[in-house]
Amino acid sequence: MLVKDSVNKQTLQKLKEKLDKGLMPQWAVTDKDIYELERRQIFGKTWQFLGHESELKEPGSYVTRWIASDPVLLVKTNSGEIKAFLNSCTHRGAHLCTADFGKKKTFTCPYHGWSFNLEGELVGVVSGKKVYGEKMIKDEWGLRPIPKVGMYQGLIFASLDHQAMPLEDYLGDMKWYLDILLGRSDGGMEVRGVPQRWTAQANWKMTQENFASDPYHVQTNHRSTVELGISPSDPNFASYGHQIVLGNGHGLSIMTSATGKSPYKYQTLPESMWPMFQRNLSPEQNEIFSNATVFVGGMFPNLAFDSPVHGMEGEMINYLNLRIWRPLGPDKVEVWCWFLIDKAAPEEYKEKAYKSYVGSFGPSGTLEQDDTEVWARIIQVSDALMMEDKELSYNNVNNYLLGEDVFEPVENFPGPGVAYPSTYTDNLARSIQKRWFELISKGLLDEEEDSQ
Amino acid sequence: MSMELQFPNTQVNSELQHEITQFLYHEAYLLDHHMYQEWHDLLTDDIIYRMPLRVTTERRDGSNIVDDMTYFEETKKSLETRVKRLYTKSAWVEDPRTRQRHYITNIMIKPGANSDEYNVRSYFYFKRSRASEHQIEEIIGEREDIIRKVDGQWRIAARTIIPDQTVLTVMNLSMFL
Ligand code: FES
Ligand SMILES: [Fe+2]
Repeated sequence: MLVKDSVNKQTLQKLKEKLDKGLMPQWAVTDKDIYELERRQIFGKTWQFLGHESELKEPGSYVTRWIASDPVLLVKTNSGEIKAFLNSCTHRGAHLCTADFGKKKTFTCPYHGWSFNLEGELVGVVSGKKVYGEKMIKDEWGLRPIPKVGMYQGLIFASLDHQAMPLEDYLGDMKWYLDILLGRSDGGMEVRGVPQRWTAQANWKMTQENFASDPYHVQTNHRSTVELGISPSDPNFASYGHQIVLGNGHGLSIMTSATGKSPYKYQTLPESMWPMFQRNLSPEQNEIFSNATVFVGGMFPNLAFDSPVHGMEGEMINYLNLRIWRPLGPDKVEVWCWFLIDKAAPEEYKEKAYKSYVGSFGPSGTLEQDDTEVWARIIQVSDALMMEDKELSYNNVNNYLLGEDVFEPVENFPGPGVAYPSTYTDNLARSIQKRWFELISKGLLDEEEDSQ
Repeated sequence: MSMELQFPNTQVNSELQHEITQFLYHEAYLLDHHMYQEWHDLLTDDIIYRMPLRVTTERRDGSNIVDDMTYFEETKKSLETRVKRLYTKSAWVEDPRTRQRHYITNIMIKPGANSDEYNVRSYFYFKRSRASEHQIEEIIGEREDIIRKVDGQWRIAARTIIPDQTVLTVMNLSMFL
């Protein structure tokens, strides 16, 4: 039957059967009921990236962010602690601070004038006792803290779930790779300026997979950049290396070259920095880092990273780009893109890295422009009745069979996780989907699981 | 570049105002008609072409433009790479072609730092139609240019594009502004 029913146990069961075979029913990508489950079960539960510590320079520094539809005020307190609050006044709920960033001692609501300090405490009530009497307990009307806040290698995360597992457990084996990307240099990484932001017609799962697990698209979608020498010159550059499946829907691809060694040692970072890398990283991490051309991957659900080499003027330069896909519905994302570089890098290299980033990624990026085109193409056709059919009589399923039966995990890969000997596989995409399904179906399929 | 102008502006005559206005219209025509190579020829070799980010800040925190991060940070060479890309067979974002219009208004001119240069401020209103989509994308803002006369021809020696939106609602910046 073509009439859309809401998502129930039976549809979820069928969805699972397909996913287990590497097939993603197209209806599930942009389905509105699925989206509602995602909002609550994924964005309401998982650790969400909010920013980098270098964005909060001194006590009183703040930035405003979003966890899907929840506004977040992220502040550095007088003691240097980083705190996150719901960015909504506790009196009548008005959006408290609409600036993107700034520095303050108190946040005053423009509606009735309640004010809050950096600890989120209510410190000012207009007319105070005269109108609220003696019994008002100010402590009860402080800003609502985001239940969990955590930091790893300068990345600040928060979760709306009081019961969220510790951040370090959540990141799991991804930490080993984050140490390479963020912990290689003394002083860590720094964000330049503020994140670029724009909206795209896209589903957040598809953009996440586009970055986290799909090097296969590079060869066609980004061919122009290879032709022009913006990207490494071998048209298959994105296929060489390994795809690494980590737990919890995290993972990455580490691209090398046809020989298994990158022609860009330490991703073209200056030789003067290499001893520092060797000191800060383990021999295994150094082996991987020194031979990598590109690190590209994702942390579930919607944080992706790219540490490539590109250059608009012929010279290949490395940088780190972090990005989140803030979902604004099943068919729209607000992209937030941060540029980072090693604090310890020479100024001249930092400048080149920034230009290399602007030329390759972000909304004007010569690679990203073509990504936006294909994200939109998925959305444009998503209302099709043939796709909406949950009975799958039209067999409208997306193909996640890349590399199946072709690549077996390699033994002795220097890093943690399950490593496949090519980046052209859907193993990571499937493990992301597995995690996604576990979360959206939580509590809806439990009965069966219990009886098994 | 300070663009504070006296009114009425007696610093440039109406003939010059007309010439530079026509030059900017000509530039917009080239861009809207996908004549990117011809557009690139209008730029001086030392062009600085930038598009900083607009942000929301409280007035006490000062400027609402972040100069440190940009959407474009270009030289003549990097713009050449971008232009060449649009002529390859795999610049998918512009193939099929989008339809674009640059509306350039509020052109204000004053003499520049050198005798052959003028500081020119203009407003832009960019509209784009993509594939069969009903919704027209748009972006608005202002530009601060240095327009220079080189061998009797007007050229763009610098451009700073300042968008009004802090979150762009165009799905990419495949255009030049
Ligand atoms: S809503 Fe903020 S003071 Fe009333
Ligand atoms: Fe891409």
